[in-house]
Amino acid sequence: MNLKLNILSAILGISFLYGNAVAADIKIGIAAALTGNAAQYGLPIRQGLELAAAEINVRGGVNGNRLELIIEDEQGKKEEGINVFKKLIFQNKVMMLFGPTLSNSAQASDPVAQTAKVVVFGTSNTADGITSIGDYVFRNSVTERDILPITLKIAAQNTGLKKVAVIYGNDDIFTKSGYDNFKKALRDLKIPVATTETFAKGDVSFKPQLTNIRASNPDAVVLSALVAEGAPIMVQARQLGITLPFIGGNGMNSPRVFELAKGNSDNLWVGSPWSVESPAPENKRFIAAYLKAHGTMPDQFAAQAYDAMYIAAQALKTIKLTGKLETDRKALRDALPATQWNGATGPFKFRRIVGRNGKPAGYDAVQTAIVMVTQANRYVIKN
Amino acid sequence: MEWLDNFWATYSTLLLSVGTNVLLALSIYLTLACGLLTVANAAFMAIGAYTAALLTLQTGTPFLLALILGALLPALVAMLIGRPTLRLSGVYLAMATLAFGEVVRILILNAEDLTGGALGLNGIAQLTTGFDVAFALIGALYVLLRFAGSRIGRAMAAIRQDEIATELMGLNVRAYKLFAFVLGAALAGLAGALNAHFTFFISPNEYGFERAVEILAMGVLGGTGSPWGAVLGGVVITLLPELLRGFGHYRPLINGVVLIVIIIYSPQGIWDLTRFIRRRHSGKPAVN
Repeated sequence: MNLKLNILSAILGISFLYGNAVAADIKIGIAAALTGNAAQYGLPIRQGLELAAAEINVRGGVNGNRLELIIEDEQGKKEEGINVFKKLIFQNKVMMLFGPTLSNSAQASDPVAQTAKVVVFGTSNTADGITSIGDYVFRNSVTERDILPITLKIAAQNTGLKKVAVIYGNDDIFTKSGYDNFKKALRDLKIPVATTETFAKGDVSFKPQLTNIRASNPDAVVLSALVAEGAPIMVQARQLGITLPFIGGNGMNSPRVFELAKGNSDNLWVGSPWSVESPAPENKRFIAAYLKAHGTMPDQFAAQAYDAMYIAAQALKTIKLTGKLETDRKALRDALPATQWNGATGPFKFRRIVGRNGKPAGYDAVQTAIVMVTQANRYVIKN
Repeated sequence: MEWLDNFWATYSTLLLSVGTNVLLALSIYLTLACGLLTVANAAFMAIGAYTAALLTLQTGTPFLLALILGALLPALVAMLIGRPTLRLSGVYLAMATLAFGEVVRILILNAEDLTGGALGLNGIAQLTTGFDVAFALIGALYVLLRFAGSRIGRAMAAIRQDEIATELMGLNVRAYKLFAFVLGAALAGLAGALNAHFTFFISPNEYGFERAVEILAMGVLGGTGSPWGAVLGGVVITLLPELLRGFGHYRPLINGVVLIVIIIYSPQGIWDLTRFIRRRHSGKPAVN
């Protein structure tokens, strides 16, 4: 009788212990553009996040808690972004959110997370003003405000340029905000601008603008464009005999330029938080794991998403989960700012920024940009 | 009650979008009911959205006044451009209004100091409540349903059937067309003003060609025989993608297939399907 009781209590005790050790999964919401025009950015982001979460779970999760990803498609549209955020926050009751893919969607949906007091972590939003929405908004995507001055400086040192011509897309939030940051950086570095030209999304001929640029006789061309327009601009410039170096914004930082500007892709300077050529062991490991898991080479969006998941996991590790969602969400928010990480994109930490009302708001990334120049279909690191 | 709170928290934006999209569908219904193919409603929506958002953002205008001005300014613009463009008909009218839409979008894009250009306006206060949208919707529907059986509604139907015959009967065809165009612009502007105040952010590119076609699709899918058709079209086009969320990657595909099937089997729109029910109840053949 006594023995039976002992066995029973032992079994109960074991199962009780076991039950505690398994604990609950940590739900993490992901809003990414998986269909539509922005899917070219959303898919690598999803794959980067999935890879990191799988690696963390294989190693026993975060303090024994598995990470459970709930992935929703926000199509790169602002209303969809808001709907998805609300669904993840109020229905799936996630601990935190990753996304959305585009800055436009973030402007519309991040306030939802801020009001609900849920951490939202952007991995690809580079436009100004996203993190000024509030103190629950974080991103590890390095803004062009930080990258472009370094790109210009390194390019100027290497090419000895004295004055530049500027060409940018004025109808897109991304390329326009890139231009604003280039303008500021050029002013700070005291580099005179010979001429400023504009184009619109979907344009196919850029020869009038390029002829003006040639006539203004600059030492380099500053280009704030997405690859779809930027690559033809480079091709047509070379056709007109303009052999000057191009200095591109983040939109031009894509290996697609090698296909789209085939044979004319050399001498393009870009700054990036991540490079496929970066020799750091963390980066080599990431590239190998990504290639094995997804069968394609990663890009900067995948690398940043991959690191973001590790940064969040690092913060989750330091907090004690109570099972009360509001308390845990707040604890995560308080733990994140001090988190540091050394991942595929190099050493990383957060920096608090000042919001529109002059009060401290969300958190941007502090990271050194890698400046590269294209040479024979490869990137060569220059800093 | 907790369930209801949670439901509202999750789906409030979706329901508000249904409301503003139905207003947009009603705005295109007005011109379609006159047999006019105009695609300027996205531009009128943009004018309404920017007017109202700039008023509440920069001058602290009361929301109600901002909404009224957000409906009035597009109406005024419609009156100005309606006079010359409504002389056109068919595909030429569609092209002229399409061009007008592009002009508005590019103007907003380049008036950077006022509108923020491509960067858009952000930090717009969340002022739109369910009551605002419901009130606007009920008001618009009431007026349009009253039209249907009135002199104005009959005149519009006559213009759609045969414009020359209507003119020969002594009706001022051009005045009726302009009336429909201007009222449609006001409704689209109101929808834009309401929409801007629950999505935090507006930018010129969301009022481009894609939006214009979406509005037209809502009107055509629902059917132009009755304002109820526009209501159905707006509801279906807004809710369908959300209901199909479970299909994951295949969502846009299935969404498209459903719309194609509807149009093949009911070319006059969804509302046309209900004519069988209506006939049975009224005991006499329904008038198309």
